[in-house]
Amino acid sequence: MSVYLPIAEMSVDALLLLSIGLGVGWLSGLFGVGGGFLLTPLLILIGIPAPVAVASGANQTIGASVSGLIAQWRRGNVDPRMGAVLLVAGLAGSAAGTQLFVFLRSLGQIDLAVSLFYVVVLGTVGALMVRESVRAILRRRHAKPARTHQHSWLHGLPFKMRFRKSRLYISVIPPMLVGFGIGILSAIMGVGGGFMLVPAMIYLLGMPTGTTIGTSLFQVTFVSANVTLLQALQTGSVDIVLTLLLLAGGVAGAQFGAAMGSRLRGEETRALLGLLVLAVAARLLWDLLQTPGSLYFLGPAT
Amino acid sequence: MPQDRVFLVVVDDSPERAVALRYACLRARKSGGRVALMRITEPVGLQEWAGVGALMQEERRQEAEQLLSALAAQVQELTGGLPLLIIREGDAVEQILEVLAEDPRISILVLATATEGGPGPLISALSGRHAGRLRCPMTIVPGGLDDAELDRVT
Repeated sequence: MSVYLPIAEMSVDALLLLSIGLGVGWLSGLFGVGGGFLLTPLLILIGIPAPVAVASGANQTIGASVSGLIAQWRRGNVDPRMGAVLLVAGLAGSAAGTQLFVFLRSLGQIDLAVSLFYVVVLGTVGALMVRESVRAILRRRHAKPARTHQHSWLHGLPFKMRFRKSRLYISVIPPMLVGFGIGILSAIMGVGGGFMLVPAMIYLLGMPTGTTIGTSLFQVTFVSANVTLLQALQTGSVDIVLTLLLLAGGVAGAQFGAAMGSRLRGEETRALLGLLVLAVAARLLWDLLQTPGSLYFLGPAT
Repeated sequence: MPQDRVFLVVVDDSPERAVALRYACLRARKSGGRVALMRITEPVGLQEWAGVGALMQEERRQEAEQLLSALAAQVQELTGGLPLLIIREGDAVEQILEVLAEDPRISILVLATATEGGPGPLISALSGRHAGRLRCPMTIVPGGLDDAELDRVT
């Protein structure tokens, strides 16, 4: 069953899109994450142009994040002050990232840049995940998880601020930098960034883990909304047919995933996720390195 | 009076927990016995990063320990003895039933009702669907009793 995507200017099997949405939604329900970091590269792999994949991937992230955010907000797991600081910086970062995106596109290098970003980020993330899981499976872990709650020089910078909910009194500069960085990645890669934001908040900012997930969802929701809006306005690359199909699959998948998440505990699941991430990175890298089937093609100059 | 009579109080975040705790302490002081405090932490669930998940678990455990040791000081003031401290992870009702089944010292489970809107989820579950699985009597303290009234009834 083929559908024509008006913005991507290509025909794709609707069932394929639905099942990608379903699979990514399942994972996001299972791990409580946005899943954009798998969705966008999968879209690129089935041949959707990078700008469309990024813009539509960001869209999918909003759907997953909003429902998570509402649940976390009700339980009081969001630090509004930290969230606001991260958000302001994140909005600035995503605006800057979109400008960079537009600039790279004008150079004609956007597909290459997005793929490279993904190879580096997914390669690193996947390798770390697999390493963590293998260690845990082999029981070679340290008994106590390491806690780096020492104040480093980063926290001692000026403009100190008290974050009551997170029980922190630190400079606003490190959270600003973290928010800005995630904002840029969000704009270029079409991810929410929660999978990097959560460890950054814990290990760099020293936040207690109870508030990190809720607060990161808070930031991710608004930043990816901003990314979608900016991408739609500036590059006009949000494909509504694509997004709707993905969201339909994603919502259904997330329900299954969330229901299974409480029963599935285990390093094996996490190792599989890590391997999946690595496989996607390897495939993207292969596509970058192999000689194209047709070295030249005719078309209107962009 | 047997020394090994133990009143089990479930420490949750509800306001009526204080009533149940006070009732158990007064009973333990006046008629002999000890108090056990039980805190059930929420399981962490699947996290993308194993390190983050382990850290969350560790922090929840530490929070539970802090809370229990603060309450233990109160208990000691009221009863003169140190309470037993139990920390479990998982579903509250299941964990209570498990502890009751595993620990033969516990002789009474003390719960207090919420002051409005039904008796609270634990009492509903333990006096309703799971009532048959309880391994000891359950005392239900009205959550609205004040200190003087608690003194009178114990």
